This record gives sequence, C-alpha cells and structure tokens, in this order.
Amino acid sequence: MLKYIIKRLISLIPVIVLVTILLFALLKFMPGDPVRMMLGPGLKAEQYKAAEAVMRVKLGLDKSYPEQYFRWIGNTLSGELGWSSLSNRPVKDAISEPMRNTVILNIFVIILELAITLPVGIMCAVKRGSRFDNFWQVFSLVTYSMPSFFVALTLIYVVAINLQLLPPGGMPLTAYGKNFAYYVSWLRYMALPVITLTIISLAGTIRYVRNAMIDALSQDYIRTARSKGLAEKVVIYSHAFRNALIPISTIIIFSVFSLFSGSAITETVFAWNGIGQVLVKALLNRDFMLVSAMNLFFASLSITANFVADITYGLVDPRIKLE
Amino acid sequence: MENRPVLSSTRGESSLRKLGKSFYGMFSRLFIRDRALVSVLEEEALQTPGKTIFKNFLRHKLGLAGVIGLILILGFSFVGSYVKPMDLSYVETALRNIAPGYNYLRFPSQLVKEGVQQISSGISFSVALSNSGKVYVWGTQPAYILEGVSTSALTIPPEVQNAQIVQVVAGDRHILAVDAQGKLYGWGFNNFKQAEAPNLLLGKLSSKKVAMLIGGEAYSAVLFEDGELFVWGSTMSNRLDIVPEAYQGHIVKVAASPHNMALLLDDGTVAVTGIKGNAFSDVPRNMQDGTFNIVDITASYRAVLALDDRGKLHIWGDNEYDILKIPEFQGKVMALDAGKNNLAVLTDAGEVLYWGANHYNQLDLPQRVQKKKHVEIYSNMFQNYAVGADGSISAWGLKGFIFGTDEFGRDLLTRLIHGGRISLAVGAISVVISVIIALFFGMTAGFFGGQVDMILMRITDVVTAIPFLPIAITLSAVVVGKVSEMYRLYMIMVIIGVLTWPSLARLVRAQILLEREKDFVLAARALGVKQHNIILRHILPNIFNLVIVSVTLSYASSLLIEAGLSFLGFGVAAPTPSWGNMLQGAQTAAVLEYYWWRWLIPGLFVVMAALSVNLIGDALREAMDPKANEK
Repeated sequence: MLKYIIKRLISLIPVIVLVTILLFALLKFMPGDPVRMMLGPGLKAEQYKAAEAVMRVKLGLDKSYPEQYFRWIGNTLSGELGWSSLSNRPVKDAISEPMRNTVILNIFVIILELAITLPVGIMCAVKRGSRFDNFWQVFSLVTYSMPSFFVALTLIYVVAINLQLLPPGGMPLTAYGKNFAYYVSWLRYMALPVITLTIISLAGTIRYVRNAMIDALSQDYIRTARSKGLAEKVVIYSHAFRNALIPISTIIIFSVFSLFSGSAITETVFAWNGIGQVLVKALLNRDFMLVSAMNLFFASLSITANFVADITYGLVDPRIKLE
Repeated sequence: MENRPVLSSTRGESSLRKLGKSFYGMFSRLFIRDRALVSVLEEEALQTPGKTIFKNFLRHKLGLAGVIGLILILGFSFVGSYVKPMDLSYVETALRNIAPGYNYLRFPSQLVKEGVQQISSGISFSVALSNSGKVYVWGTQPAYILEGVSTSALTIPPEVQNAQIVQVVAGDRHILAVDAQGKLYGWGFNNFKQAEAPNLLLGKLSSKKVAMLIGGEAYSAVLFEDGELFVWGSTMSNRLDIVPEAYQGHIVKVAASPHNMALLLDDGTVAVTGIKGNAFSDVPRNMQDGTFNIVDITASYRAVLALDDRGKLHIWGDNEYDILKIPEFQGKVMALDAGKNNLAVLTDAGEVLYWGANHYNQLDLPQRVQKKKHVEIYSNMFQNYAVGADGSISAWGLKGFIFGTDEFGRDLLTRLIHGGRISLAVGAISVVISVIIALFFGMTAGFFGGQVDMILMRITDVVTAIPFLPIAITLSAVVVGKVSEMYRLYMIMVIIGVLTWPSLARLVRAQILLEREKDFVLAARALGVKQHNIILRHILPNIFNLVIVSVTLSYASSLLIEAGLSFLGFGVAAPTPSWGNMLQGAQTAAVLEYYWWRWLIPGLFVVMAALSVNLIGDALREAMDPKANEK
C-alpha cells in the first residue's frame, strides 16, 4: 500500500510543477503594476521614482522570470503570500477568517449531503420505478439543470423575503459575545446557503449513487446471496452497498472538494464572508496578490482531491493492483 | 412457382387463403427450398443502429419533451432575434422597472358608454374621468407597493369613488384627482410625497378654485384659477417649485417636462421655469415680446409647441426624433397634446396629426383612427387616445411589456431573445472546443498508449487539477481590460472549452482501451486492416454513442457555467445581453424583492434550456444502450 501511495505521490510532482507555473504565469499576466499598488498614492514624481527602484529590487521584480518563479514558490511555502491591497493587511491574515467560514459552511453541507444522498440513492435503486424513485429522479434532473444562484435567489425570495423565516444573507454579528443566542444566529445565517449548496450537490450524487447501486444489485453474487436465503437487508447493505461504495467514494470525494471552489457564487449571493466571496471581491477590486493566493489554495485543494480519490480507490477496491 | 420471398403483405385476403398460403410457405420452405437466398438484413428484418436509436428515443416521453423544449427555445432566440431586432444603445429610463403587463391601452368599455371627459396617462397606466364623474384606471402597476411609500396606482381609493371628481391627472407613477369642493386626492407612488397635498397647499385649496392639475415625473402641480401655480414633489434638481413672482397670478396654462415647465401667461407670452440652458428653456424672442399672441401650449420632454391666435404653430426645443418638423396639414388646429417624445395636433376636420419618436409604435396610427373624425386627443408618455365624434375611443402607442422592463427601461422580452442567442451560442461553441480537444487527447492517448499516453494523461491531470470556477473568473477578469467586447465573448467560449475537456478525454481514452482489446479489433488486425482504419472505422463508431451523450450533457452544464460567470460579472458583459448577466441585477436587494420579474424570468429560461438539453441527453443515453431497454 505504501508503495502505491509513494508512486502516486511521485506522479503528482509534474502536475504540481505545471499547475504552479500556470498560476505564476496568470499572476504575471494580471493587469496593474504590483510596485505601484504597494507604494500607493501620495508620492511626488522624484520620490516615487526612487521608492519604485527600491521596491522593485525588494520584490525581486528586477530578476528573470524563472528566478521570480522560484522566489514566489519559496515565499509561498514559507507562508509569505504577499500584501492584500483590498483589506490592507497580509494576505495570510486576510484569508484566515473567510477560510474558517467556508469550512464551517461546507462541513454542514457535506454532512447533510451524505445524510440524504446515501439513503435516498440506495432506496431509489432498491425500489426502482416506484413513486419514491420517480420523485427523486425528477428532483435531481430539475435541480441538476438549475444554476446555483437561481436556487439561492428563489430561496431568498420565498423563505427570507416573503415568509421572513431566515435572514436573506450576511454574517452573524459577533459583538455580543459567544452565548447561546450567538450560535443560534450562526445557524440562522448559515441555513439558506447550506440548503442551496446541498440542493445543488444532491442532484448529481443521488443519480450516481442510484446507478452504482443498480449496477451492484444486478450482479450475480447478489442473486447468489438471495438464493442462500439471506435477509434482504443484509443483501442490500453488506453485499450490494459495499461494492457500490467503490464508485461512490470517488464521486463523494470530488463533490466534497469541489464544494469549496464551487461555493463562490452561492457565497456571493448570500454575502457569506467565505473564500469564494473573497475571491470575487478581490477580482473586482483588482487585488491580485489575494487572487493568486486564493487560486493557489483552490488548486492545492483540487490536487489533493485527485490524490485522495486515487488512494481511496486503491483502498476500497482490492482488485486494483498495487504495483 | 413463385420466386419471391413471402415477406409481402397479405392484408385484404381472406383468412382461409392466408392460412393456406402460410401452410404452403411452410412446406415449400421445408422440402422444396427453391426460394432465392435473402441477405441477413432482409431475413432478420434488421434496422440500422441509427434507426433503432431513433425509435427507442421516440418511445421516451421525457426525451421528446426535451426536444420540443429545445426547439421552442432555439426558435424563440434565433428566429425571434430576426423578428425583434434590438438597438443595444437604446434606453428609456422613464420606463424603468415596470412589472410584466400588456394592458396599457385596454381601457374599460364602461368608459365609452359614459363618455370621456378626460384621459391622462402615466408610464404604464392611464386614468380617465367619465362624463358621469366616475374615475377609471387601467394598465399595469408602475411601481412596487410599500407601506408609507406607495399605494397601488390601479386601486382607486374609496373616498375618491364617493367624491364628485372634476379633474384627474397622471404623473409618471402617481395619480391626482380633485373634487368639486377643491379637495385633492392622490395615490400611487409617493416617494417624494408627490401624491399628497402639502400643508402649504391645503389652505390655498380651500380658498381658491383649481384650474388645472399637473402630474410630472415624481412631482405634481396645481394651477389655480387666479393664475397661481404651486409645485411640489421631487423638485430638488429642477427647482420647479420656485415660480418667479412676476409670473404668479398671470399663469393660464402649464406644459410640464421633467426638467422644465412652460408657462402660458395671460398676456399671450410664454415663460419657462426650471433648469436653464437647455433648448426647452430657450424660448424664442417673438414668443416673449408680444409679436404673437399665444393661446395654447403643450410640451414633450424636450420641445414646446405653441399655438397663436391666428392658428399658427410655433415650436422650439431639442430636435431629437425630428420633433421640430411639423408635418403639413390643412384646416385649423383644435387641440394640442404631447407624449414623452411626440407631439400631437387635432384639426377641426377631426384629423389627428402625430409626429416624433416611434419606439413603441406611437406614430403607427391604426387605419380606422386615420379615417375617423375626432373631437379630442389625449396623448401622454407613450399612450395615445383619440375620442371620435361618435364617442368611441381609439388607442395606440405602447401596449405594454410582456416580461416587464429592466433598470434602463429596456424591454425584457427583446433582451431575453437576444440574450438567449448569445447564451446558447456561447454554450455550443465552448462545447465544440471542449469536444475537439477531448477527442484528440483521449483517442491519441488511448490508441497509442505508452509514452504518448503518459504525457497526454499528465497534461489532462494538470487541467483537472485546475479549480474551474476560480480560474475561469480570474482569466475572464484578466482578459477583460486587454481585449474588445467582441473578443471577450470568444475568450469566454475558449475559457469554458479549455477548462472542461478532461473528463470527456478520460472517458474516451478508457473506452478506447476497452474496445482495443476486443476480438473484432484483433480480427481486423489479423486481416491486415490499416491502423488508422482500425481507429476510424472499427473503434470510433463504438465510442460514438458515448461521446454524443456526453456532449449533450456537457452542453447543459456549459449553459449553466456561462450563466454563472455572467451572473458574477465575469462573463458576457453589458450592454450585450445574456441570460446570466440579465440576472446580475438580482444581487441588489431591491431588485430581488420588488422587481422579481427581472431575475425570475431569465432564471427560468436558463433552467428550461438546461433541463431540455439534460432530458435529451438522458433519453439518448437510454436509447443508445440496448441493456436499458430490457431493464
């Protein structure tokens, strides 16, 4: 197993190198002069010229692109992500809180998604053609065809504006200390974004789980298990489901990781102070150091997802040869 | 003996003969065997795979619904954009944010029976007073209803219904009425308190008689019979509320635009108040020094039309839409009136003359209107009514907006049509780009294997590792300053195409690896079929189904991606419409809450398009998979 992991890790290296080169090129391609942004307004022409030369050397912009690239990688690894002009503090500090918010949001989404997807997908496969199955088939087809912002807007319009049950967006206030009411308000503010993201992610995964289960249920060993007289529950959960888990685990891992980068639209609509919204804000305000840090983060998440999916695949499916 | 296969129809023959024939056929097949050999296709009555798929597809009701939906949407946007051309630069802010409605000109028939005393129109509604003193309102709600800010313009308050109303007038989004006792009523949009009488006015109303009510854009005015003018509402920018002392007490008639008021004074001269320096306020000298004795005036938004006592028309103002060119006519002028960008004249022969802008068919007078003899015209904003000598009403002009208008007063239907064309095209071309790359990578990697496969798959891994949404919006934000509007559209197609191909490439590669090991490929190889023929003629047809289904489904997701990017402001940029960027306004709370049609309708179009395509993709998948039919 260790050998397999190491092999996957080695094959990851060129991917990481190419992705970082791409991200670096993107950073270089962005409009605006970083020196100018660092210096800000209010300098006279001569002062600016002198300060610019110093800053250029300090930022290493006088060097060649390969040198700049290695410098950038080095800085990134040591946690020096640059200065965010949007929030006027180091990028590292600017993204820590949004990152926490996004993680909290997505943990709820993942829990809800798994809690709904797995039982519903299995039930649909077992009771294929029933009214229950048809309902979820239609549901997933329709929600699969919905842009996430449309789901978000509809929810805000119905639940927040017309029924006035939940706040339409924003972040809970932290000024009153961390009492019980504070946590309740967190849940209230989080409810609509969580529901939106859950609905959107359910659409794909339910169908996937259902199809994987149907495939598993049509295998010969299921017939064997049934003919041995095993209880239907045992057949479904320990014969069929375990085998269906192989494809399911992959899709779930991808869906979990893609939640992070995909929540940008939902976070923007709900004004949820997460990394997705920060990215959109940073782009609109041309804070490119922040943008590049964000992209780096999303890219590393995505690479991790691919890696984890590979490893899990190897773990759950003993047929995959490990040499 | 017959030398024909017995496949021909035996319909119409008696059952006994049929029976005899089939027995005969059976015997002849068993013992005589003189029938010509038929090909496998005939013997087994096989059909081509395409036909099978088509037949299977037809059996799929949801898939058919998807096809119909997609055809409707394609027709709506592609045929529609020829029927309804769009001027990208045209805006009409006076018509901003009006709810869907197509009833602006649908006046109640009761009004014709009772006889028209007066009609006045706002942006999307009209108010009328009948000869029996009843008030009628029709049209579409011009503004949202919010307690303390606005009431429904279409609901006549009960106290108005009970009062003896003598005059009504419509502002742009509010209505004013005055009764015989001099009591003023107002309803509709009241954000500048334009629909209620200020305290200062109340005293005057009780002591003096009202000569004329004036409804302007978010302001109102009352002209008293003693020649005093009182203006209130939104007057901070135009200062119409400041009426010079020299004019007060001498005003006979008022013609109002949003920025100015033309005042007809009792000595036959014209004065203008409000914003100075525009063409409206530049009154010709001979209107002011007594050369002409003016008896009537009217004003569009930027021009004034005046009639002197010798029946001659005078005009000044801004010559947009050729409004300063008075058409030739015969006879005497009976009445003047003006829409927003139009002027109207009624002659003593009963002829209606109408000129100016024609954005909403204001100039296209119906045939029967031209033939009829009229006694009165009422022209306001974009709606026009002419009352015939027989008491009938002819209406023409702006009928309404089926899907409402946006923040610039643009017709949402037109923008949906043209936006659909852009959204559907961007989605389609990005899918084509993605498929071409995917097929190249997948097929080359799958067939050649080895080093080629390794390198191509590493590249695929790299693209897979790129987080789609963040990089797509970053790329789009980066290119925005560097390329023109048109290229930006292409860039978005390329960005979506270049970032979405890996999954299909993997699928194709895996499928080719699977097919490559099958016996028929081995047989082809053994027969010495050339390698490129093996790929193109033996393997490719077998993965074709898979590709088609995958392309259909990814078209749906491309539509959603474009909508998402444009919604965030990183896709198709305004003023070019796309379904996604039409929803952009919904990021503000006011649009979300009050102007629901601006996000709900484009959103539904996106959902409908994506759903249709997904239904087709699903049905295709099942139609192409022979196993699915058994399930």
